[in-house]
Order: sequence, then C-alpha cells, then structure tokens
Amino acid sequence: MSISKHGAQHKQAFDEPLWWGLFSAGGVCFAVLLPAVILFIAVLLPLGLLPAEALSYERASALLFSVPGFLFIGAVVCLPLFHAAHRLRHGLFDISVGNDATNKKLMYGGAALLSLLALGLVLAGMLG
Amino acid sequence: MDKSSSQRLPPLKRNWWLKHRFFKLYMLREATVLPLVFFTLCLLAGMVALLQGAESWQGWVAFMGSPIVLLLNLVALAASLFHAATFFVLFPRVMPLRIAGHSLPDQVIVAGQWAGVVAVALLFFWLLGRV
Amino acid sequence: MSTEQITTKQINTKHISVKRYLPDSSAEPYWQAYDLPVDDSTSLLDALNHIKEELDSTLSYRWSCRMAICGSCGVMVNGIPKLGCKTFLRDYEGDIRIEPLAHFPVQRDLVVDMEIFLEHLAAVKPYLIDDNPVKAFDPNAPETYRQTPEQLERYKQFANCINCGLCYSACPQFGLNQEFLGPAALTLAHRYNLDSRDHGKKQRMAELNRHEGVWSCTFVGFCSKVCPKHVDPAAAVNQGKVEAAKHTLIALFKG
Repeated sequence: MSISKHGAQHKQAFDEPLWWGLFSAGGVCFAVLLPAVILFIAVLLPLGLLPAEALSYERASALLFSVPGFLFIGAVVCLPLFHAAHRLRHGLFDISVGNDATNKKLMYGGAALLSLLALGLVLAGMLG
Repeated sequence: MDKSSSQRLPPLKRNWWLKHRFFKLYMLREATVLPLVFFTLCLLAGMVALLQGAESWQGWVAFMGSPIVLLLNLVALAASLFHAATFFVLFPRVMPLRIAGHSLPDQVIVAGQWAGVVAVALLFFWLLGRV
Repeated sequence: MSTEQITTKQINTKHISVKRYLPDSSAEPYWQAYDLPVDDSTSLLDALNHIKEELDSTLSYRWSCRMAICGSCGVMVNGIPKLGCKTFLRDYEGDIRIEPLAHFPVQRDLVVDMEIFLEHLAAVKPYLIDDNPVKAFDPNAPETYRQTPEQLERYKQFANCINCGLCYSACPQFGLNQEFLGPAALTLAHRYNLDSRDHGKKQRMAELNRHEGVWSCTFVGFCSKVCPKHVDPAAAVNQGKVEAAKHTLIALFKG
C-alpha cells in the first residue's frame, strides 16, 4: 500500500456536507411538495379535471414567471434534482457501476446544469 | 500500528441487495428518484413550452395526457408518497428535536410532516381547484 | 417439585445446517447438518454447545457470557446476523442455516477475524479525551467528572454497544468497502462527542469527516434492525453527518 493512497484515505471530505445538505433539502421538498405538484400538474391537469382557466396559458405564465415562481422552481426542480443526483451516485456505487469520482462529477454536474436551465427559463420569462 | 495490517475482503457482488427483503426495499427507496427525474424533465419541457407561447403550451398539456407519460407520472406520484413514508421516519432519528429539555416523540414529528403534505395539497387546491 | 413438571417441556427435534470451514483438512467451506433435541428454551448457543459436547467436538465457535453482554457469539442465522444466546430455535420453522458473520474473513467454522473491526474502533479514539485531567485525590480538583442525569441522557443509548459486530455484517456499505469505519465505530465516536466530560471532538471529527467516515453511509438502516442492544447505530452515524457538516462550516470560516 503506497503512502499516497494512505494519505488520500485520511483526507477530509469537505465537499460531502454540501452534497448531503442539498440531498436532505431536496428530500424534504420531494416528500412534502412533490406529491401535490405531481397530482395537480401531471395528473389532474392533463386529465382535464382542473377548471379550464386554472392553468391556461395566461394564468400559468403569470404564476410561473414571477418571484414566487422562481422560488417554486428552486424547491420543486433544483433541490429534488440534487436529491436524485446524490441517490443515483450512491446507487451506482451500490451496484458497482463506474467509479465514484466520475459518477460524482456526472451526477452533481448534471443536476447543476439542469437547475441553471430551469432558473434561467423562469428569468427569461420574467424579462421577456 | 500499520493500518493495512488486517485482511480485507473483496467488495460484495453487485447483486447483494437481491438476497434480502430489507435490501430490496432499500433499493426501491433509492429508485424513487428515477420517476422523479422523469417528472422533472417533463416539467422542464413544460417551462420551455410556456416560454414559446399559447400553442406549444396546449401541445405540452396534450403530451402530458398521453397514456405512457400519464402512467409514468402516476408512478412518480406513488414514488413521491413512498419516498415521503421512508423519509419522514428518518428525520427524528437524524435530528432529534428537543423542546425544553425533552425530546419530541417520533410519531409527533412524523405526523407533523404528513400534515405538511396535506397542507401543500390544500394550497394547490386553493390555487388551482377553483377559478 | 415433581419430575412430571420438568418433562412437560415440549421436546422435539430440529434440523440445523452449519457452514463448516476447516482449513487444515479442506480448502473449501462445506455445509454440515445436525439433528438435535430442542425445547422452548433452547437458544442457538445451547444448540451449538449441544453439538460440540454430544455430536461433534470439531465444531469451533466463540461464546462466553450467554446473556447478550459479551458480544462474542454473533453468527448469521438464515442470512441475518444474530447473537447465538439471544436467538431461540422455537422461533424458526424448517431448516436453520448457521454461517459465520458476513463481511469478515473466516478463520475456522463460525470463528471470524475481527481485526479490521478493532482497527476501525481504535481509529475514532473511543475514550474520554480530557485536556485537563483531574489528579487522583487532588483536593483542589475541579468538578470535571460530575455529570447531570440530563447530560448522561444525551449519549446513554449510544453507550450500550457491546462490540458484537452484528452491525458490520448487516452493513452493505462495509461489505462494499472495508475501509468504511462502519456503524459501531462511528456510533462510539458520536457517543464520546456527546459526552459532557469529553474534549476530543475536534480530533474525532477529522476521522468522521472523511469519505470513509460518516459519508460512506447511505442510511440503509439494517444495522439498527439487527443491533441486539437497540443502540440505533444508523441514527448515530447520521447525527454524525450533521456534526461533520457543522465541523466543515467552522473549518471554512475559521480557516
């Protein structure tokens, strides 16, 4: 066993608290917010069970492209994405797929890119 | 003492979790994020559609109503509830809440979190259920 | 007392399969079956003792106290880690398969090498670290070792560990990466970090805040299910994550 490997094992993981914090916050959002969000937007809306004007183009735009809409996307898209990234990274390790250092970059990097895209779309709608 | 003096076994085979019900439920819990990611991607597509105009927004609503998408989102709904059931019981164990020196009973914390789920659903009903 | 009262205990025969490993005679482990008389009070440890004394003296296993306090008789029962003395054959129907504790190298039969477990325990400095220890019989001694019941209550549950190693056999993360410090060591670290008499938290956090420290845990939770003393190591490890996060924030702002 080389000295460098020994040294690497004793390095503190100062990035892990950040990933775990985002995972935990995202887990709370996934559990508390997502059931209602999925029920109303992905089930009742396409089935036509909401009043016709509830999420018309005008009303949906007004609701989403606003400061509350920006916060809503942060809680319903961005944080749950980091939650998913964390579980996928550890799940890949659990079934011995890839290597953890690469998986980490792919998963958290993917979550960060999609989060930026989501928040960028809201900003574009607010400015446009 | 040399840290690597003792014998190390090779890692478990990748099918270790199939050998016990408890581990299968663990993997199911971890897999709840797969339908979550699907719903999130749908939502991102919806935001793009909303930005493009009324016509593509209607197109997105129709896309959400197609049988496969609807089915996968129903799976996502079930996954979010299963995730909630497994996640809420962990909370009091990770962060035991203390009020005036006494720790709050676990059931109270779990019930409080489910009350949060219901409150959010009611908020959505107030916002979208009537016009 | 009449002899009839003693014979009213239901005696019947149970079938036990034991995974044998005798490196002197065979390189490969093999299963060996035993039929033995049991009643409602027969523990798995009683059964192993019966095999050793009456049926097969070559069987090797560890045991000492037979009352779930020494932590030495851990084995896998139908794939689940259990203490032999706390497991009763009345609770099992059909074949009972006994194996050495999982995730540890097997030395002989049910005896495993627990060296790595002891190494991980030692790594977290599981003892009171005091910057200013009180000298014995010092009349000017500060009240360092006084502790209120409330202060005791904070860590008491986590102090019940008997180092039996069942949680390591239950933990897939330890099975996947043996460098992971594991449930018992991280729990013991948390137990001392919570102790009002201790000042060693900073030293321990450097170990806990590694990838192979608290951050390898994914809260599978099976460790807490199998713990014979209801220590809830999974809770301790995850409270350790909160502490490691605080430790990191302090390190960031204080440099």
